[in-house]
Amino acid sequence: MAEVNNVVEALKFMALGMGVVFLFLYILVVLVKVQAALIAKYFPENTPKIPTTPVGNTVEDENRRVAAIIAAVSEFRKNKS
Amino acid sequence: MKLKQIFISLLFAMIALTSMSQATGQDATAPVVAEVSTEKKAYEPKTIAELATSFWQTTGINAIFDVNDGETTSEPKGHAYEREMTWFESSLGRIMMILIVFLLFYLAIAKNFEPLLLIPIAFGGLLANIPLAGMGGEHGMLGIIYNMGIANEFFPLLIFMGVGAMTDFGPLLANPKTALLGGAAQFGIFGSLVGAVMIGFDLQSASAISIIGGADGPTSIFIANRLAPDMLGAIAVAAYSYMALVPVIQPPIMRALTSKAERVIVMKTTRQVHRLEKLIFPIVVLVLSILVLPESTPLIGAFAFGNFAKESGVVDRLSDTMQNALINIVTIFLGLGVGSKLAADKFLVLETMGIMIIGLIAFSAGTAAGVIMAKIMNRFSKEPINPLIGAAGVSAVPMSARVVSKVGSEEKPGNVLLMHAMGPNVAGVIGSAVAAGVLLSIFK
Repeated sequence: MAEVNNVVEALKFMALGMGVVFLFLYILVVLVKVQAALIAKYFPENTPKIPTTPVGNTVEDENRRVAAIIAAVSEFRKNKS
Repeated sequence: MKLKQIFISLLFAMIALTSMSQATGQDATAPVVAEVSTEKKAYEPKTIAELATSFWQTTGINAIFDVNDGETTSEPKGHAYEREMTWFESSLGRIMMILIVFLLFYLAIAKNFEPLLLIPIAFGGLLANIPLAGMGGEHGMLGIIYNMGIANEFFPLLIFMGVGAMTDFGPLLANPKTALLGGAAQFGIFGSLVGAVMIGFDLQSASAISIIGGADGPTSIFIANRLAPDMLGAIAVAAYSYMALVPVIQPPIMRALTSKAERVIVMKTTRQVHRLEKLIFPIVVLVLSILVLPESTPLIGAFAFGNFAKESGVVDRLSDTMQNALINIVTIFLGLGVGSKLAADKFLVLETMGIMIIGLIAFSAGTAAGVIMAKIMNRFSKEPINPLIGAAGVSAVPMSARVVSKVGSEEKPGNVLLMHAMGPNVAGVIGSAVAAGVLLSIFK
């Protein structure tokens, strides 16, 4: 009897916990988007747009790959220092 | 060398036996085993056999094999909490724990599984199992360390500060919706909570165990200490060993839940993130956690402070200390302190088995939930999302992101998912801190 109750309680914890985690992260996502939009609007100079091209062309593909590698390496170095 | 040691110990054993039989023969009324007294007494002349006997009784060999001396467990809270050890705990149990410790050494050194944590934890465990030394007691080295920073939850917070100073939120800011993947992976925590309750743990212990599914060592220690301090050792060891096993546990689950076509999806390059966004982000997280869940502010506050110091760009000295010197020092203490819970009398209990199993389920469930969530997002999102990055939602930073990247590039050489996986990965850290806050708020 008590055990059954406990499982029900645990399921309630799950509902509450997952709900709060998702709510928290969802609000965070919205805030981050708003923040990004505001910053892009009022401090635009430091946000250069990286042109994005559709997949298909092999040369473009190669370029994208190189760009990704460069980005990853620079990020890694930055983290390291 | 070994032969010599065995010979010496045999010699001692023989001397002890002969002297004991002599003692019984000479004086039948006196107790056979002389009590080792710590009080100062007038020195009485002793025969060489008596000296050897009393020495023998203080050796570790005697303490392990002849266990009738009423040795007590060592408790960092003080003598009042001590109890007498059972025969098993002070003999075979110790030998088993020492073998386990050497297994951990092997995993750390030969297999390179989280050596930074496993070495201090395992060595702490070795020290804690020394007979008669009382290292884990109130005045023993491990006990002092334990009281200094684990009993009051200080060390996990310092670790969080360092992790904050090491974390780059750029990838998350560039693609914010991947944060939801870090939320989905927290299903590992709550799903295994239900599982733990089903196999008979009470709600509070089950909550402490299931936090292993968050794959976050400091959070696990923080929660275990609040909700189930007796299980701290097993929970910490489970959390860190599963974190070390990320490269082994995760890939099969990731492959099982995704199709080849999904695994080769190439994601768009992330945009450049403005410095100001990174600077404001820790404040946003902190304010949000204050409003929604003040219970989790110790963890998130320390994390936000570390990250803010890093992103401010003007206190490189402080942020450098947090990322390196401070976190290293705390790791040493945290490891040794947790290791003190590897003493046979605390670790070799039935619950440990359950904790290990639940921990594994929690970890796998978290990975699976992250991948499934990523699949759903891929279905409904305009931009393609590789479902593999969902597995990085468990907060083992940056290991699970690396694993994702590795699996991704095995499927399609040149497909670099690392940056995309870092988003859910750091969101997972926040997510598990939030989940921890929810659990704490329930048992307040």
